Amino acid sequence: MYATHARISWHRALAFVALLVPGLASANTNPTIRLFPTTVVEDLRQTSAVAQEMETGLQEVIGRLDQQQQLYLDSKCEGAEGDPGCQRLSKQIGAAYLEMLEIMEARLPDMEHTVNNTRLSLEKRLRSEIGTKMTSWTLQETLIGKQKTNAAAPSPSLRGRSGMRLSERFRQYYQLVASSNTSADQSLAVLASDIYLDMDETSVLIARTREEIARATLIEQLNQSFGAITPEMMEVVGGVKSILFGDAPEDIVIAGPPPGSVEKPYRSPLEQ
Amino acid sequence: MNLKTTLIVAAVALLGGCAATPPPCDGPTTRNLDAAVMHVKDKLATGCTAQFNGYFDTLLTTAEGNPRPENKRVFSEFLVWTADEGLLSQRQAKDYYNRFFNVKFMTLASDYNTCSHTCPRRDRVLLDMERELSDKERGLLRVSRDDAGYYRADRLFKEVELVLEATCTACAAGR
Repeated sequence: MYATHARISWHRALAFVALLVPGLASANTNPTIRLFPTTVVEDLRQTSAVAQEMETGLQEVIGRLDQQQQLYLDSKCEGAEGDPGCQRLSKQIGAAYLEMLEIMEARLPDMEHTVNNTRLSLEKRLRSEIGTKMTSWTLQETLIGKQKTNAAAPSPSLRGRSGMRLSERFRQYYQLVASSNTSADQSLAVLASDIYLDMDETSVLIARTREEIARATLIEQLNQSFGAITPEMMEVVGGVKSILFGDAPEDIVIAGPPPGSVEKPYRSPLEQ
Repeated sequence: MNLKTTLIVAAVALLGGCAATPPPCDGPTTRNLDAAVMHVKDKLATGCTAQFNGYFDTLLTTAEGNPRPENKRVFSEFLVWTADEGLLSQRQAKDYYNRFFNVKFMTLASDYNTCSHTCPRRDRVLLDMERELSDKERGLLRVSRDDAGYYRADRLFKEVELVLEATCTACAAGR
């Protein structure tokens, strides 16, 4: 399924972000919140490069694993483990699984490092720019922007932080930044929060995955002797796929106003 | 009829008369918002200030019967009047108006930074915002037909929730 997805690399997506965000920041004439200084953008760029390498490296082997698993199921090997053909197939799956673990073992430390760098950079910016320089009221005013009640104004749609491949997430980040036209701080605050929470979640998943790899490798090496496909194998492969490639994208759409004439809203002298 | 009987009849008639008199702080029964506001103003001016919350709620219910953008102005003028008359402070009047008829959340009013003041009570703040959103649904959507305003408030709530989650995580990590 994921193999058929359009391939938009983190590198390219973030290169666009890198070009765009400083431009947006400089175009803003209002007091700005500096959530995406060049250091953060550089961290994002590095993360994208490492992630792209890992995605590319794993996609082929995971694709092969999927095909082998499908063949295993189509051949009705479940419950027929004694069959020589099924045993051979099972060993091939085990070998591909080991290969996947080896690639991950080699790539994950870099990935973990760059994700953590990005996470820490954004963490620092969020803490200083929103956490200590703003009250909840000024945060609200930043999010609303100038056009307080204009629901048609471009704004990022919140999409949740799971169920989507990493490269797709970053493609969407790029689109959100690109569509927030003239440096809308409100969009950048939401975008920075979204990326930070994504990175935080990804960081935890990577740490857990690294802990599991050594154990899984050992178990599979043992399994190779017996040629068995364990549910655990399927689970680990599924986990890797969900980290890197995600599930089907899920759009969270906020209802828009019904079509109709837009009257100039009444403004009360009591309004704040 | 002797004097005693006459007095009893007079007392009964008097009591009957009292029962027919409307209570002094009754609410408006009309479905016309302007007339209802006039009624409430009259009652508030003659000492029924303790009933203010009930009156305000009744006026909202009356306005829900005929939702239109102009209702915002009616409520604004009513609240300005209550402040001018000294029935509410300026701040109270603003709180009432903005809670129901503005996109911004009064729950978020604060003079202290987000890390130190909002994050420690984030759950409470979000719960209060959710309640305020419900009042905005009534004021903006059901009374004023300001659909765009309400949906913006709804989105603002979600944005604040997300940004606070990230910011408070960052604040906690920096301790």
